[in-house]
Amino acid sequence: MEFQVPSLNLLIVLPVLIVTGWGMLLMLAEFFIPEEKKSWAPWLTMLGLVLALIQTIGLWGYNGGTFTPKGGAPMVVVDNFATFLNIIFLLTGILTVLISIHYLRRTGLDRPEYYMLLLFSVSGMMLMGMANDLILVFLALELLSIPLYILSGFAWPRPDSEESAMKYFLLGAFSSSIFVFGIALTYGSTGTTSLPLVLERISDAGMLGLVATAMLIVGFAFKVAAAPFHMWTPDVYEGAPTTVTAFMSVGAKVGGFAAMLRVFVAALPQLGEAWVPAVAGVATLTLIVGNVVAIVQPNIKRMLAYSSIAHAGYIMIAVAASVNSPDGVSAALFYMLAYLFTNLGAFAVVIALEHKQGEGVMLDDYKGLGKRRPWLALAMAYFMLSLTGVPPTGGFSGKFYVFRAAIEADLLWLAIVGVITSVISGYYYLRVVYLMYMYDGEGEVVANRALVWTVGLTALATLVLGLLPGPWFDMARDAALQTVQMVAGG
Amino acid sequence: MVEQIVFILVSLFTLITAVVVVTNRNLFHAALALMASFLGVAGLYVLLDAGFLAAAQLLVYIGAISILIIFAIMLTRRLMHALESPFNSQWGLGAFTAVVAFAVMAGVIAQFWPVTPDSVTPLASRPEVSASILRGSVAELGRALVSSDAYVIPFEIASVLLLAALIGAIVVAWPKAEDE
Repeated sequence: MEFQVPSLNLLIVLPVLIVTGWGMLLMLAEFFIPEEKKSWAPWLTMLGLVLALIQTIGLWGYNGGTFTPKGGAPMVVVDNFATFLNIIFLLTGILTVLISIHYLRRTGLDRPEYYMLLLFSVSGMMLMGMANDLILVFLALELLSIPLYILSGFAWPRPDSEESAMKYFLLGAFSSSIFVFGIALTYGSTGTTSLPLVLERISDAGMLGLVATAMLIVGFAFKVAAAPFHMWTPDVYEGAPTTVTAFMSVGAKVGGFAAMLRVFVAALPQLGEAWVPAVAGVATLTLIVGNVVAIVQPNIKRMLAYSSIAHAGYIMIAVAASVNSPDGVSAALFYMLAYLFTNLGAFAVVIALEHKQGEGVMLDDYKGLGKRRPWLALAMAYFMLSLTGVPPTGGFSGKFYVFRAAIEADLLWLAIVGVITSVISGYYYLRVVYLMYMYDGEGEVVANRALVWTVGLTALATLVLGLLPGPWFDMARDAALQTVQMVAGG
Repeated sequence: MVEQIVFILVSLFTLITAVVVVTNRNLFHAALALMASFLGVAGLYVLLDAGFLAAAQLLVYIGAISILIIFAIMLTRRLMHALESPFNSQWGLGAFTAVVAFAVMAGVIAQFWPVTPDSVTPLASRPEVSASILRGSVAELGRALVSSDAYVIPFEIASVLLLAALIGAIVVAWPKAEDE
């Protein structure tokens, strides 16, 4: 048999290759580096992520795919949509490494496996945005999730960390099986798993296609922690090491939405009449549950868990609007970018106050922070305002674009629900600000240089997105057009 | 006709053993019933002319996964002899959910009844399956998994996934440095 050089465009998947390859490299490097120099792992990880980020930014504007099966569509596509999301994922990875370095050392979790699993999870997230085939979506989902199951249990034998990993794993496996059932029914009703081919054939699929769509919604809703599939979130977020919680609350959520947007907007727009009301309903429930239950949480990690549920609801609004409004997808993308900086910044402050694992995470520990660490308190107050959606913050711009897209898509009621729940959310976000400035209290704060840098950078980015959202939204619009054009082009 | 009788028998076997799995009070017996149920599924694959899949089912599910479950039960002594009711306070809700899910699926599938090769609309557009695959050619499957114009990328991602799971298993199982 003669040897054929396969005609693959590996250059465009290079960012993912770098990230996965770097994970394996770390594994090998561990053997050759002496015990006393173990502090290399985070910086080496960072180097890999930065290299992948540079490569990803270089791909901006590229539009193409590779790994094309005979007579089919490419399995992996690289367009601005994927590139935009990959930038979000890589930034999430970099910021997570920055907040992890000192935290892991002081909690005794500093093992190189942490960074390997982080890299594998990031590569899964990147594939979520690039996957153009349901098989690949499923594998990317698992590659994203399995390292997260382990990372949330990384602080074993602490019981709450073990509980967190166990709950996340069991419910995650269950929801994955529903998701894969949905893929099987899609294949059964269309004879293909390739998204562009599903798009061509799904209108003939009848009821079977609708049941498949419902199952796919359930699978994604679990991954992004939307109600009524959010039950795992508070316990998992509370029990997992805080750096992992920070990573999960941004990475896994954006990863879920990346694939959800690609699948629903690029492959299933014809079923929009069926899934738009369903997604809008899920969004409403998510917004109400997340924002109302967050009010009574005394633990800041639990509060941020419910807050992240609520933010999944806002992004869901944009997903529901994405079929009938040209700006739906770009609003979702912009919102996720703003959410990345705001939420990771808030978690960085939480980590600064968590002097020992599981201690210093109650809201009462924030009393008097304004006097003890004025800059840190100011940053936290700013993040809280951004999460509420008060101008001039990235969170405000994100909500503005999301609500505008919803109104364009004739979902005015959904935008109203969003505004009302934002007002409710002000109560628990601003309480943190109130506690920091109106009370006296003493508690340790451990802020090392990397952490302070992260807080500063994320606050700056949130400010930039709040003051000058225009250019960034135009970027998100460039990123979204590809998806919408694919719909129009068939 | 004979094929249908065999199909019904194999299906009944699979379903009955599956019911035993969830109702048996002894976990060990439930695990054995699970193996029998997997065997029934392998039988269904044979009936569908999917010989390789049936062999894989035997090797992976019965040969590996069931054995793993039995090991896990035998290593935890408390579970080995415990007779615990498999029902908890939420079984009613669970049964309700299962019945509703079944009714929805059955309702959707019933729309395609009676099934003839031309009548099944959603399946009308399915691609032709090449003859070599129908013959159960393992070589074809293997080639598809490593060809760049077929499924090489899912295959590679699956291998990264397994590597991540392997690292994870070691992280979870290896004693921590301070315990040594």
